[in-house]
Amino acid sequence: MIPTHPVEADDRLWRRVRRVFRLPSTRRRRAVELDEELRFHIEGRIDELMAAEGLSRDAAEREARRRFGDLAHYRSQASDIDEAIHRGRVRMEIRDALVREVRQSVRTLLRTPVFSLITVATLALGIGAATAVFTLLDAVVLRPLPYANADRLVSMASPVPKLKGQTRWGVARHEMYYFLAQGHSLENMGVYQTSNATVLGRASGERPERVRMVQTSASLFNVLGFTPLHGRLFVPADNRLRPPTVAILSYGYWQRRFAGDRSALGQTIDVEGYPLTIVGVLPPNANLPDLDAALWMPAYVDSTTNWNNHTWSAIARLRPGFTAQDAERDLAPLTARLPEAYPQVYGKNWITRTGFRTEVTSLRDAVVGDTVSRALWTLFGSVALVLLIAGANVANLFLVRVDTRRRDVALRTALGADRSHLAWHYLTESMLLAGVAALLAMGTAYTLVHLMLALAPSELPRLSEVTVGGASIAFALGAALLSGIVFGVLQISGGHLDLAALRDGGRGATTARSRLSARRLLVAAQMAFAVVLLSAAALMFRTFDNLRHVHPGFDANGVLTMEISLPDAKYGGNDAADRASNFHEQLAARVRALPGVTHVGLTDRLPILSGDWCTGITIEGPTPETVHGACPPAALISPGYFETIGTRVEGRTLDWSGMDAHDGLMVVSKAFAEHWWPGQDPIGKGAKFNGSKPPFYRVAGVAEDVRALGVDKPPIEIVYFPMRPIPGAPLPGPPTYMYLTLRTTAAHPLTLANTVARIAQELEPQAAVANPQMMDTILAKSIARQSFTMVLLLIAATMALVLSAVGLYGVISYLVVQRRSEIGVRMALGAQMGEVTGMVLRQSLGVAALGVVAGVLGALVVTRFLSALLYGVTPTDPATLGIVPLILLAVSALASYAPARRAARIDPVEALRND
Amino acid sequence: MAQDLDLIRGTLDLLVLRTLSWGPMHGLAVTRWIEQSSERRLQIEEGALYPALHRLEQKRLLQSEWGYTDQGRRARFYKITAAGRKHLSSELSRWSRYTEAVSLVLTAAPA
Repeated sequence: MIPTHPVEADDRLWRRVRRVFRLPSTRRRRAVELDEELRFHIEGRIDELMAAEGLSRDAAEREARRRFGDLAHYRSQASDIDEAIHRGRVRMEIRDALVREVRQSVRTLLRTPVFSLITVATLALGIGAATAVFTLLDAVVLRPLPYANADRLVSMASPVPKLKGQTRWGVARHEMYYFLAQGHSLENMGVYQTSNATVLGRASGERPERVRMVQTSASLFNVLGFTPLHGRLFVPADNRLRPPTVAILSYGYWQRRFAGDRSALGQTIDVEGYPLTIVGVLPPNANLPDLDAALWMPAYVDSTTNWNNHTWSAIARLRPGFTAQDAERDLAPLTARLPEAYPQVYGKNWITRTGFRTEVTSLRDAVVGDTVSRALWTLFGSVALVLLIAGANVANLFLVRVDTRRRDVALRTALGADRSHLAWHYLTESMLLAGVAALLAMGTAYTLVHLMLALAPSELPRLSEVTVGGASIAFALGAALLSGIVFGVLQISGGHLDLAALRDGGRGATTARSRLSARRLLVAAQMAFAVVLLSAAALMFRTFDNLRHVHPGFDANGVLTMEISLPDAKYGGNDAADRASNFHEQLAARVRALPGVTHVGLTDRLPILSGDWCTGITIEGPTPETVHGACPPAALISPGYFETIGTRVEGRTLDWSGMDAHDGLMVVSKAFAEHWWPGQDPIGKGAKFNGSKPPFYRVAGVAEDVRALGVDKPPIEIVYFPMRPIPGAPLPGPPTYMYLTLRTTAAHPLTLANTVARIAQELEPQAAVANPQMMDTILAKSIARQSFTMVLLLIAATMALVLSAVGLYGVISYLVVQRRSEIGVRMALGAQMGEVTGMVLRQSLGVAALGVVAGVLGALVVTRFLSALLYGVTPTDPATLGIVPLILLAVSALASYAPARRAARIDPVEALRND
Repeated sequence: MAQDLDLIRGTLDLLVLRTLSWGPMHGLAVTRWIEQSSERRLQIEEGALYPALHRLEQKRLLQSEWGYTDQGRRARFYKITAAGRKHLSSELSRWSRYTEAVSLVLTAAPA
């Protein structure tokens, strides 16, 4: 049935209202109109039939409906079409409006090119810098590690506070079986060690190369969720063979060495003298966190390997629902019972004597670490501040724009221009600017990310995962969208209903003044942010400078180092130490003869590079005392080492003829001597490695202390043994893996490395020479985290300083224009140019001072987050926090000088005439 | 009825456009016109006209507007657009080519 809608007056009125206000038709309206149309047809037919054929009304209606057919069907068909028409119209209207708005906005923006350009550039720089650092933060800190179930992966270590303070031991192999069998929290666990290994060339003439190698339990692949690309992974049986017989290649090494040829499977390669059959290739990116291992080898891991050998790295996968803390609680009682479970490994009181426990950390925290994530968050905070400062500048520009358009807008509003239309126009304008800025920002971010990657310290984890991807783009777009909305709303709220502008002769004194104070506040906030950033940067600069001037206990300039390794398989047995020492002695003699080389020496432990280590030392005395309370590191050295590295020695050092004659002379560091022989002359005292019976090595000289763990760490005690042991007093191992150091005056020292490699291989064809580096590079890298943070903070602080100076300049210039007539009056009344300049400067410095005070307060809070990175300077260093405000005030004075001069040159007559 | 519809579907649009090419009309007037000019030989189910009219409006071949009849009643009037005329003329020539071809076949006899 057709519902009967009487066409009443209110219906017509509604139609008129709708037309006047251009309201879109509603679904109900369309239904009513369709019904009306159809009813008209049927009613017309009825009238016709009644008139022409004399039918009764009922008969006529029946006939009309019969002729019409299925009314409901046709009605719904027509109605569907109507809805489609309506949708099409709405779509078109929106598109038209958008095109119209954008076209109009582009036109107005192009009319003020300077404004548009500065806005876009400022935003692009701010967003770009923030996006770049966000990219780094996201890849390193925020994103989960690239493994399946990465959130369930944990790493394990064992602090032994009573032995080694903050240093952590690794996990012993038997612990893996013990924890997996007795614990409830672990699903699977793998242990591994990483090292550098020598891989011999397959053909004669192919040089041996050094590659990163992982020796692992088969279970590690399961923990990390790896599947082989070709071939197979390790199985537990591989772990029970000594020496190992199989190897797996990383994708990269397979590509590099075998050009991605599948026939690599089944081939044999010589690793450290052991022939290994290649059984598998890993897919790309299957690697240990932050390690580019080329080669994987099964470690000797068996449930029967019960040695107190806590040197293994361990990664475990938690059972679902367990956290790292749960696992630590789960393993704590098991760790405490280790001596009961393995009485042959641990002494009874071992746990209490050492404070040994098992620490479980989420793998991501273990990889990224607290200092790194803190440093990156700090940097992100600093670029966010820069973005805020940039935003404040743009906001200021928009406020100026609102002011200059004020009359125009007020006029239009008064003439009845649609207010919502104005709002749409503002929003389109700011969105357009933000959109262009976002595009440029992505380009900026891309460049900055690559710049940062080039600068970044190599120990910054997960750098290989850093790419400008979806998250970065989303960040840039999000920041742009937000600023677009903010600036749009800012204009709308600043520009609407400003009818007062018409009344007061176009200056709108009151409203302009309130906006001016808002802009002063914005500039003060900018200044405050700049102070915070500048303080942080200055503290980092002080840190960097302090670190550079720390004397590390050696002289890095002109010292070239490289690793020399001799194959374990060939240099084994009882006389290995002598044969290896002979090799090194010949090598040193020939290298010293090279032109430009002044000193040559060898050591197995290079400061900074070798990290922390620990050796059991016995000191000769009435009751031989094993020094394991502190566990001082011992190094093997050759004669000439101290002269080469530039560590000063009081007394004698080693010489070749003496060492070859087993004179048993050794050197100890000053700290060691003072610790173990306080108040005595250490020369002639005896010490040895493991064991308490004579013979002992005799102290011949005392070396100055070396900051072997890094220039920002205190120096450590070191015992220097000759690399050639005396009979009856063996040393930690044969010198098969040594650093050769040479001091040179050559202009391009690194080229010497090839010559050394050639000599080494003439003496021993299987010797591998790797990683030639200048000692000063090693030193610089060791403070790269600080220098990286410093450089980025300096860049951010400079941007902040420039942007806030520009902001201040803009506001003061505007202030001068605003007060033109007032200044004119003053000058007409006899004010001097200097007075006017002073007045403007005072205004400007007032704003700056406000910002500086707020900034110093902010800096006192914020710089505390930097304290982990600082060296030799406190986060609230008075000198630093005192000088930064002065810099800011000086820059402020500079920025406002030009507008102040302009104010002083105002011609009073002209100023008053124009009013 | 269904047969009728099938027959009409393709040609109804053509009939409507042709009818409206003489001037704006409401739906009932279009029906009457087709009825009379076909000498009542084309039995169209009248309701089918409305989906056709709305569809033609969707294709922008027609425009509609509410107005008043001579008797002062409100009705929706349809008007052919320029695009509608163009469409009509091409459809007309297509139609006549088609019917000529069909009648050639139908009237041809084996020699």
